[in-house]
Amino acid sequence: MTATRILIADDEPSLVAVLQPVLSAAGYEVAAVADGKGAVAFILSHDLDVVLLDLGLPDIDGKEVIRRVREHVATPIIVISARHLEAEKIAALDEGADDYVNKPFEIGELMARIRAATRRRGTTTAPMAFYRAGPLAIDFPARRVLYDGETIKLSPKEWELLQVLARSAGQVVTHKRLLAAGWGVETTETQYLRVYIGLLRQKIEEDPSDPRLLLTEPGVGYRLSAAE
Amino acid sequence: MKRPMLDRGRLAIGDMRLRITLRELMTTAGIVGASSAAAFLVKPMNGEASEALIFVLGIMLCGAFEGLTAALIAAIAGFLIYNFYFAEPVLAFRLARGSDIAPLLVFNLCAVISGVLAGRLKDSVQAANRKNEALSRLLEMSQALQSAVRLGDVAAALRATPSARSGVSLHLFSIKNGRLQPLMDGAAQPEWQAMAERSLQSVDPIRCEDGLTAHRLDGSDGPLGVFVFKADAVTRLEPPFMAALANLFTLAMERATLSEMIEDVRALAKTEELKTALLSSVSHDFRTPLTAISASASSLIDYREQLDRDVSLRLLQGIVDDCERLNRYTANLLEMSRLEAGALPTNLQKIDVIEMLVAVMQRVRPRLNERRMTRLFTGTDIVVLADASLFELVLVNVLDNAILYSERKSCIHIEVEDDGGYCRITIADEGRGIPDEDLERVFDRFHRVARTEPSPLGSGLGLAIAKAFVGALGGSIAAMTPGIGLAGTRIVICLPLVKEDRPQ
Repeated sequence: MTATRILIADDEPSLVAVLQPVLSAAGYEVAAVADGKGAVAFILSHDLDVVLLDLGLPDIDGKEVIRRVREHVATPIIVISARHLEAEKIAALDEGADDYVNKPFEIGELMARIRAATRRRGTTTAPMAFYRAGPLAIDFPARRVLYDGETIKLSPKEWELLQVLARSAGQVVTHKRLLAAGWGVETTETQYLRVYIGLLRQKIEEDPSDPRLLLTEPGVGYRLSAAE
Repeated sequence: MKRPMLDRGRLAIGDMRLRITLRELMTTAGIVGASSAAAFLVKPMNGEASEALIFVLGIMLCGAFEGLTAALIAAIAGFLIYNFYFAEPVLAFRLARGSDIAPLLVFNLCAVISGVLAGRLKDSVQAANRKNEALSRLLEMSQALQSAVRLGDVAAALRATPSARSGVSLHLFSIKNGRLQPLMDGAAQPEWQAMAERSLQSVDPIRCEDGLTAHRLDGSDGPLGVFVFKADAVTRLEPPFMAALANLFTLAMERATLSEMIEDVRALAKTEELKTALLSSVSHDFRTPLTAISASASSLIDYREQLDRDVSLRLLQGIVDDCERLNRYTANLLEMSRLEAGALPTNLQKIDVIEMLVAVMQRVRPRLNERRMTRLFTGTDIVVLADASLFELVLVNVLDNAILYSERKSCIHIEVEDDGGYCRITIADEGRGIPDEDLERVFDRFHRVARTEPSPLGSGLGLAIAKAFVGALGGSIAAMTPGIGLAGTRIVICLPLVKEDRPQ
């Protein structure tokens, strides 16, 4: 098996100088580009496993980079962005980014995002059959959800939502995508979504008021913990 | 206004047009009728002379009450009736002798004299009324001008302008960026604007042309604007009065300009004050963690061999913690400058308060350091409209304060309740509390509670941002003591609730 290949698209040399050796030490094969056009060219000409994309590149907007490469390839893209720029993050996710990391980040958080992205890439060819995290287990072909080994009953909507979250386990799923999955329309009010997330938490969380599996990403969406 | 009487009389005749209304015609007919009746009554007693006098009286009355036209009609009618019924031969018209024509001449002369005199009287009464109205409006305006502080007040005073009906119209132009601009709503007619421009160029501050009079308003630093007016012949306005009014405009505009300058200076001073405070905050609050980071990192490089594993780890953890601290300061500074710039929150979305609090509690959990968090969330679907990242920052700030100013192993209590139209978030701790005199000032920018005991220092921005955020959303925030039991602080945030229908 070949090493996982990562491209860092960031114009901040000090950040690249830290990430490159750390990611290499973690066993990844790392390349770096410092502008948007270079990033597009590199992504289209290489078979990459993950792209770490800074949204504030000097030449073209990060969202534009995503738009240009998404027409051709499905390479997982993790956006690196400042915490207060929700609208930017959501727009990038809508353009086809897979996840985001807030700047500044701790390396553990970044590694978890990279793992989630590569795991998901692995399942695009063969659909994920099983998910397990803590007491929760999902058997996709059988459409069965188990909590502590016991089958739990989910309504069709709850199942749709959980399935979308689990297939992107470890990654953020935007309100918009969840609404589209559960209701088929993107315009439905997020309050419906909140209610169903609440119902799901009742069934899959040990303490629904202090969730450990189904986490809120304020203003953006929800994230189901990565499979163990 | 001292014109020869003759001139005014001629003018009055020239101004008079032979017009009559139905009402005036009826009155005239009535008076002529009454005169005829009276003449019939006196006919048996006296001779022709008194009958003629009665007609003269009637014609005079018509002239006095209804003007020249009515008097002339009455004169013709009176003559016809007099000639037919009263003059010899009775019941026949005759214009043969001089004595037949005399009444015609006398009646018409009476009509003209009385009519003209009455008409002139009426006109001058009317003119006086119009002038009075114009003057009282101008006086009203001058009173308003005396209390005008801003250019807007001057414009408001101008709205009390005398109407065109009272024969006066006026325009005020102010100089903005070197160009003349009408101060009143709507653009001025081009000839007025041109007049104002010419007045600005001319040597004489007062200029009269084509019925327009322009007063240049010269302030102490050159012209401030131009005051142009037009008064018709009847409502002629005394030049000294208009000059006084122009003076008032000058004063009001100068005052407005000055007060605007003072406001600018004050705003500048405030900005400077903020800048200084920001700089001192940056130099202090940023340098402290940076110093720690620098010391730790350089120690790790220089004394790598000597330091044992635990110490190295502690230093490294310190670097990570200080970075998180710097990150929060940066976020606070950024949000503060956004809020200071008066930017309204644009990224509003419906946010479930409990969900947000749970996420925030998870975020601060690594910093708890053996402190406990307890909570009491009553109600579901507590939804507010807010900017998600700002809301998160505000809650993190308040929780961080609770952590920062309380002892290890103490308790931090978080409560959310639905208070009708508002959601009330309470965050209480068992820490050192806030002195009563500081309870309000903790929300001021860069205000730090002076303490005798050594205590950690925040950036002095967290609660100021919280207050600005809550205020922008129409809510409130307050600090109270005690927090839990008899100690600590309690921060209460109220935000307006968004009412939602529960989905089916």
